[in-house]
Amino acid sequence: MYGFEALTFNIHGGYLEAIVRGHRAGLLTTADYNNLCQCENLDDIKMHLSATKYGSYLQNEPSPLHTTTIVEKCTLKLVDDYKHMLCQATEPMSTFLEYIRYGHMIDNVVLIVTGTLHERDVQELIEKCHPLGMFDSIATLAVAQNMRELYRLVLVDTPLAPYFSECLTSEDLDDMNIEIMRNTLYKAYLEDFYKFCQKLGGATAEIMSDLLAFEADRRAVNITINSIGTELTREDRKKLYSNFGFLYPYGHEELAICEDIDQVRGVMEKYPPYQAIFSKMSYGESQMLDKAFYEEEVRRLCLAFEQQFHYAVFFAYMRLREQEIRNLMWISECVAQNQKSRIHDSVVYMF
Amino acid sequence: MAGAEEIEICEGGEESIEAEAKTERGDEKVLLQFLDSLDGYLTLMDSLNSKLREGWFDLASARHSMGTLRINTTLLDLKDHSASSTLQVTDQEVESLGSVHCFALSKWASKGGSGKGKDFSTVADSEMGSPRSPQLRHRGVSGEKPSDKGETTVLAADEEIKKERAKSLSVFGGLVSPKLRGAQLSFETALETLVEIANTRSSMLTAFERISKK
Repeated sequence: MYGFEALTFNIHGGYLEAIVRGHRAGLLTTADYNNLCQCENLDDIKMHLSATKYGSYLQNEPSPLHTTTIVEKCTLKLVDDYKHMLCQATEPMSTFLEYIRYGHMIDNVVLIVTGTLHERDVQELIEKCHPLGMFDSIATLAVAQNMRELYRLVLVDTPLAPYFSECLTSEDLDDMNIEIMRNTLYKAYLEDFYKFCQKLGGATAEIMSDLLAFEADRRAVNITINSIGTELTREDRKKLYSNFGFLYPYGHEELAICEDIDQVRGVMEKYPPYQAIFSKMSYGESQMLDKAFYEEEVRRLCLAFEQQFHYAVFFAYMRLREQEIRNLMWISECVAQNQKSRIHDSVVYMF
Repeated sequence: MAGAEEIEICEGGEESIEAEAKTERGDEKVLLQFLDSLDGYLTLMDSLNSKLREGWFDLASARHSMGTLRINTTLLDLKDHSASSTLQVTDQEVESLGSVHCFALSKWASKGGSGKGKDFSTVADSEMGSPRSPQLRHRGVSGEKPSDKGETTVLAADEEIKKERAKSLSVFGGLVSPKLRGAQLSFETALETLVEIANTRSSMLTAFERISKK
């Protein structure tokens, strides 16, 4: 019953909620970002990060540093936090935390399959995979020639198995089929996660519904914009949109027929949650759209911490860390390329 | 008789003065050509630097937007495939400079069976009669059909170039961010600029050699 979580949540979830709120306090602040934006080189960035939670992960890295090294080490911090929480969690929180990994598993599967199609070494591909998305039989993905084999040989024993029902074909894997597979899997995953949160009920269902709906809508917009001018048909494009969200179903009908960014804007401005996002951009421009969406997502994720006794704080913390790592990657790239004037184009501040 | 000889000597003197002036003008012309080439070369180097910076920045933006797993070196295709662009080197005769190496870029040549594909980037130029003159593409609302064969060929060439560009980017997936496409265009322009730099440098060095000989 909604509103009575306070009576029982702390029995199984109290410790981990306290842990995740502690981790949240360790997220970088605006002052930290201002210091990082003034760095002259990547070693300066490493020096500034040594005073943060990332310090112990970067301290042994030799100079010269690379942007990818900073991202990898910061990701290890995220993975360690996650694994600590997962090993302490009981049902249904452990299942909820497992759901957070499935998106990364899908990305890893697509990376291995695409890399194998391009005749890359499997070991090289595995080193590039996201640690949160690893599973035991991941290396065997390189053997499959089509989606049916992919499912039968490897994925049938993984949590992604239920998501394959809509993309089982015997067509050989090529770049477009792989892209469709990626988006179809992610659609099925989001819908499954959404239903799971609805079953949990209470504050978790309410807050996660909002966050997942926003995620589904953002994916719909990105798919639309990225498919403009490609061979993806309108029908195929519509099939990649999730069956929930603020834009479902009428917004999806309109997005499916958009041919340029201004038409996408015309569709999105009819929905109040997205009017503010598109009002920040001028006509014909899509450069700032990513930042606008990230800022809105961060706003919603921070709001999740305003309420207690629900699982959405764990999802929010993981997403905020990922945003922080994206910020660090961006700042590092701008410093490395001597483009410090462009740093504020994509950094999203949280607090 | 002495008068006629004097006139001959004067005429001979005038002719030699005129010949000297002509030679001087020729030298000045070569010098001016060298200085022009040098100026063009420096401008092109600056333009190249700017385009490359833009390209790298757009690539970083695309990685930020799409994620590091979707844009990284492990996705590049190691299968055998022919080059999408080729470079031809020829010798051309240029007035007052003589023989100069000339570099020509063929972008987005189609991958035919013979290995010598049709060059879509130059089809449009040859039809229009001038290099890279911009064409407005009108969507089919007015009902006017392009009756001119040249315009139809240009549109077809544009479509093929667009497909070749998309094919190049497909190593990163079927649906890529507009930022990645922007990065591709920046590097494409940088490649054209590099070829222009090579041509300018070639004429500059030839002009310098001629000045040095004199």
